[in-house]
Amino acid sequence: MMTPLRFEQLYQPEWTELDTLLDALSQPRKANTLTEAPSGARAGALYRRACEHLALARARSYPTYMIDRLDDLTSRGHQLIYQQREFGVERLRRLVSIDFPSAVRSHGSYVAAAAGLFLLPAIVIGLIVFRQPDMILSVVAPDNVSDFEAMYSPSAESIGRTRDAGTDWTMFGYYIRNNVSVAFQCFAGGLFAGLGTLFFLVYNGAFSGSLAGYLTAQGLSSTFYAFIATHSAFELTAIVIAGGAGLRIGHALVSPGRLTRRQSLVKASREAMVLVYGVTCMLLIAAALEAFWSSASWIGPGAKYGVAAVCWISVFGYFVLQGRHAD
Amino acid sequence: MSKPEHGRVRRDILDTVVPSETPEGILLELRPAGLTPRYYAFIVDWIIRLAVIDAVATVTGFMGGIGVAFWIVLLFVLEWFYPVFFELSARAATPGKRIFGLKVVMDNGLPITAAASMTRNLLRVADFLPFGFGFGTLSMLFRHDNKRLGDIAAATLVVHHRRADRRNVSAEWPPLMPLRPLAPEDQAALVALAVRAPTLTPERLDELAALAAVTSGDEGQSGPEVTARVLGVAQWVLGRR
Repeated sequence: MMTPLRFEQLYQPEWTELDTLLDALSQPRKANTLTEAPSGARAGALYRRACEHLALARARSYPTYMIDRLDDLTSRGHQLIYQQREFGVERLRRLVSIDFPSAVRSHGSYVAAAAGLFLLPAIVIGLIVFRQPDMILSVVAPDNVSDFEAMYSPSAESIGRTRDAGTDWTMFGYYIRNNVSVAFQCFAGGLFAGLGTLFFLVYNGAFSGSLAGYLTAQGLSSTFYAFIATHSAFELTAIVIAGGAGLRIGHALVSPGRLTRRQSLVKASREAMVLVYGVTCMLLIAAALEAFWSSASWIGPGAKYGVAAVCWISVFGYFVLQGRHAD
Repeated sequence: MSKPEHGRVRRDILDTVVPSETPEGILLELRPAGLTPRYYAFIVDWIIRLAVIDAVATVTGFMGGIGVAFWIVLLFVLEWFYPVFFELSARAATPGKRIFGLKVVMDNGLPITAAASMTRNLLRVADFLPFGFGFGTLSMLFRHDNKRLGDIAAATLVVHHRRADRRNVSAEWPPLMPLRPLAPEDQAALVALAVRAPTLTPERLDELAALAAVTSGDEGQSGPEVTARVLGVAQWVLGRR
């Protein structure tokens, strides 16, 4: 008759071997105690045996310590055998050359909607503030308004920042933190049926629009537009794409189609995540440009507009053409 | 002793175990961690981050613009990527989670993927709203598997990292053949009692053993001798002769 102890005696050697193999396989670089290279095939076979043993031990209500040991062995084996790896240079190269632009194209309608939600308030509020500069006070606090005026005055040492803001490097750090956080919030806001994303896009649009309208009305347009022209190619598109990712999640929740709401959300977040990776890269580029190029007062507006044109064309070219063969 | 069906129903109500079936057809049991340990783990991680930020600030304060830039970028990285970094390491847990024996896995029991870790940590913002992790807390309290909103979207689960129970049965009682054949669940109950015996007080052990006295032919009696005979039956069931 098969008793628990007999069962343990019979299969103990296999369990010990699997235990050692799993240890060796999960830390391949460290010196392991085995004399030869650990065999994946052997581990697979032993893992399936251990699964059988676990099923038997459970069905026969064998003692807890034995079931727990088998449970531990099989779950470690399961993790090792079925894990997915998605790191590395190759993955990053694929992300930049194919996955990101292709994801932007496949989310085209969401990105377009996000662009509308950002640009429409920007233009409307911008025009209102341009006609009636006092209206800016209903969007921006008075202290900030005078700061902005100082930041974009042609006599400013570095354009686009207050006098005590610190060096280019400090601002580089600040832009990274600030802009990427805004993008992440735009994305995360999608979890509230897209309403959070909607709010962030409209608010940022209205804010930027009112600022542009006000500074134009104050006659500071030459420094302001030369300042924003270059980095906005990366920054505004990135924020709009992050908004598109948020809208995708919101839409997946509101209208899950044939999936359950949860499945639909999981699928949408997995696909929209590619957009967030790309957006993060774009905002790093934008922060570098904004800190070191846009703010430099020794570069003439002509050069800045020239570079800006190149940037806008390449960004759009990238999204339209890059990685098309893989679509 | 209760019928297995009855036991199963009660267990489903009381336990929060999330079963995950592997392709080999066995069920892995995942034990989701509740609000309290996760809250403590968060506090620990929060303190660690504060300490790092403070320590770096004292150094970079002397370095001018680049120092401040480095500090702000560090602030940003710690804010968003501290959990991602640790969740993708071999332990799959931030230092705080490790202290409280937690780790993050996919909800099918596999190791967490990079995309899932990014998703659950970026969506932390949504869990934080309207204030103090309000939505995240509500979600964890109402859900059977204690997921916060980020976990739902990323299909991840914070689980208790189980240490296997290695307690064996000591062989101090002489084996005794049961008077009649025992049903599998009765055998399991006897063996479980023998495993727990060293951790029980002698009086409590006698009480529990008296409930199973029928197996050794001592029905209605109790005392150390009866206990020794009942545990002897457990030895027999295990296979000692």
